[in-house]
Formats: sequence, structure tokens, C-alpha cells
Amino acid sequence: MELMKLEIVTPDGVIFDAEVKQVTLPGSEGEFGVLANHATLVSLLDTGVIVIDKADGKEIAVAINSGYVKVEEEKTTCIVDGAVSLSAEDSDLSAALEAAKTLLKSTEASNTAIATAVSKVEQIGKSF
Amino acid sequence: MANLKEIKRKIGSVKNTQKTTNAMKLVSSAKLKRTEELAKRSRVYAAKLTELIEEIAQKMKQSNADGIDNIYFKDIENPQKVDIIFITADKGLCGGFNSQTLKRTNQLIAEYKEKGVKVRLRAVGRKGIDFFKFNGIELNNEIIGLSASPDFKKASEFISEVAASYVNGDTDKIILVHNGYVNMITQEIREDQLLPVDTSKLKLDHQSTSELEVEPDDDDTLLDALVKRYIEYTMYYSLIDSLAAEHSARMQAMDAATNNAKDMVKELQVKYNKARQESITTELIEIISGMESMK
Repeated sequence: MELMKLEIVTPDGVIFDAEVKQVTLPGSEGEFGVLANHATLVSLLDTGVIVIDKADGKEIAVAINSGYVKVEEEKTTCIVDGAVSLSAEDSDLSAALEAAKTLLKSTEASNTAIATAVSKVEQIGKSF
Repeated sequence: MANLKEIKRKIGSVKNTQKTTNAMKLVSSAKLKRTEELAKRSRVYAAKLTELIEEIAQKMKQSNADGIDNIYFKDIENPQKVDIIFITADKGLCGGFNSQTLKRTNQLIAEYKEKGVKVRLRAVGRKGIDFFKFNGIELNNEIIGLSASPDFKKASEFISEVAASYVNGDTDKIILVHNGYVNMITQEIREDQLLPVDTSKLKLDHQSTSELEVEPDDDDTLLDALVKRYIEYTMYYSLIDSLAAEHSARMQAMDAATNNAKDMVKELQVKYNKARQESITTELIEIISGMESMK
């Protein structure tokens, strides 16, 4: 499977920068997945969860409050305001989960959007 | 003898000052390191954000023959009302750091006044507020505490208010002045035009190779959101930059003060030794002459 570069930038620095298979993003007009060679696109991101399929087959979830994404054929750049990443390798997954939920709840998004995102985070937390 | 005591007291007090300035220097250098790290991390974010704005602005420019049709991008040749935001430190003892910013701000005010432009001032930092208050110049905003510990939320609240007055038409142009960090020994006055977005600074000449899709399908919404984020971030970044510069300026000032104190102690020590020698000589002469007269 072809890989593409994914970069997630927050005001506190770059939190993710690696080759990935696929990434699913919470766009403001609905969730969408991006594979390599996607058409160029700029989109607003809503409160939600970014799901990353890493090159080694492992999955990472990143809870975000809001931001932008720029998709190019070879590279996807997410610019987000606040993010908490969750992965199966986390030594303290429950703390990360809590942090992710607090972040999601602190946003101004609608209650349903927050609830969806929180339940998604919980689901992902269980799957690890 | 009184002189001797006096000098000794002076040496003690200078030594104490030296200790204080040295401690302040150490504190500043530790703080500088932390702030520098913060600035470095947020620089990436700022760069990406600017890139994105360039891209969108470029797209709008291509699809629109008469430039970019957005309130944040309109080009005003003769602004009638200008807002100047300036950032100074809350504390002094940092050399010419604050006065440089104030000097530049005053220059700007004079320039605009000459052109008959109305100027409003928005001050961040106690030193700037004190200066203009002392001179009896009115300030629109007085924010204390933000320049000593930059906080994204507070910075964006403040700048949103300023941006709102721009959208209302209360002001035509917003300028941000601060003293920025270059390296450990140099600071530089930076002047940014926050609004309208300075298109001459964006790289808009390149032709985008592929058609850019935008979601939501309305360029304006996205651009509005982006520009808002952009100015919020510029404000926040300027605060960090200014803080780093403040610490580096204070470090320098305190280093110089410590060195001066050291020189002063040396000088005083020589003076003290001389005085002591003098008094011993006088005493000896007195004793000898006393002995002489007893013979």
C-alpha cells in the first residue's frame, strides 16, 4: 500500500510526523478519510478524533478541538489548536483518555458533536 | 578613621548589590531558555498557518480578477484611523528594552499625526502604560500581566476585541509594535501590520499547480476563520517573542551591572587600603614624634 506523509502541528509543537497508510479526519462537513494521492483539499476540522493507520499497521487516535487540514498528493498537514494522542503503546492510557475527554468537552462545539467524539474516544480506548 | 569606616560600609553595600544583580541575571537566563523553547515550538505552527493563508488567498486571487474580496484583505491607501498595539515588559531593570519600544511607538504616533490620522493606543505591559499615563496620553486598553506570562486564551480575547472594532469600521488599520528576540545579545524592534493582512508579505506570485478544493465550500468562511486564527496567533507569538527579548535584555543589563559592581568594589578596595596605610603612617609619626619630644 502506498504511503503518504502526515504531520500534525499544534501551538505546542509538532506532535506527529511520519509516513502513514491512511488518516480519517473530522471535517466540518463530515468525517472523511484520506489515502495517498488524494486531490488537494483544504478543510476546517471540527471537534473530534483523527484516526491514523500507521505504516506498521498500528492505529493511533488523536483527539482534537478544532483546526485545519491541508491535503496534498504526498503530504497531509493538520494544524490544530489542541490535541491529545492515544495509542496502544501509551504507558498510561487511562490518563491520556481522561485528558482527551477533557479537551473534547472544553470546546464550544454542539453537545451532540462532543458526545459523539467522546464515545468514539472511549471506543478506541477499549480497542487498544 | 571615620573615612575608613565609610569606605568599608560602601564596599559591603556594593557587594550586596552585586549579589542581587548576579542572581537576577541567573534567573533571567533560566527563564530565557524556557521562553526560547516555547518560541521555537510555536514557530512551526505559525509557519504552517501562514502557508495555509497564502494558499487560500492565492486561490481567491486567481478566481477573482480585482484582487481578494474580503474585509480582512482590503487595501486602504489612506487610513483615517489607526490602532497601535505595543508590548512592553511589566518590570524594568532590563536596559533600553522598554524605552526602545516606546520610542518607536512615539515615532509612529508622530508620523500618523502629521498625516492627520487618528491614532488609538492599546498598551500591553505596565511600563508602557506608566509612560503614557505620566505624559498624559490616553490609552484605549491597559493590559497588565499578559506580557510577563503569555497566555493564548487571554491574548486571543484581547485581539478579538481589537479585530471586532476593525470589522465595525472603528479603525482602518491595526499595527503591532514589540521588541523582538534575535539572539542572546540582540533585540530588534518589530512592527507588524495585523489588519488588513499585509498581502505584500504573503507570497502570492506563484501559480498553484492544481485546483484546490475547499471545504466548507465557501472561501470566505474558511478565510475568515483562518485570518482570525492568524492574528490571534501573531499576537500570542509576539508576546512570547517580546518576553524572550525582555529576558535577554535583562540578562545583558544585569551582567553589565554585575561587572560594574565588581569594578567598583576593586576601586573602593584600593581606596580603603590607601586610607588604612595613611592612618597607620599618621599614627606612627605621632608615636615617633611623641618619643622624640620625651628625650
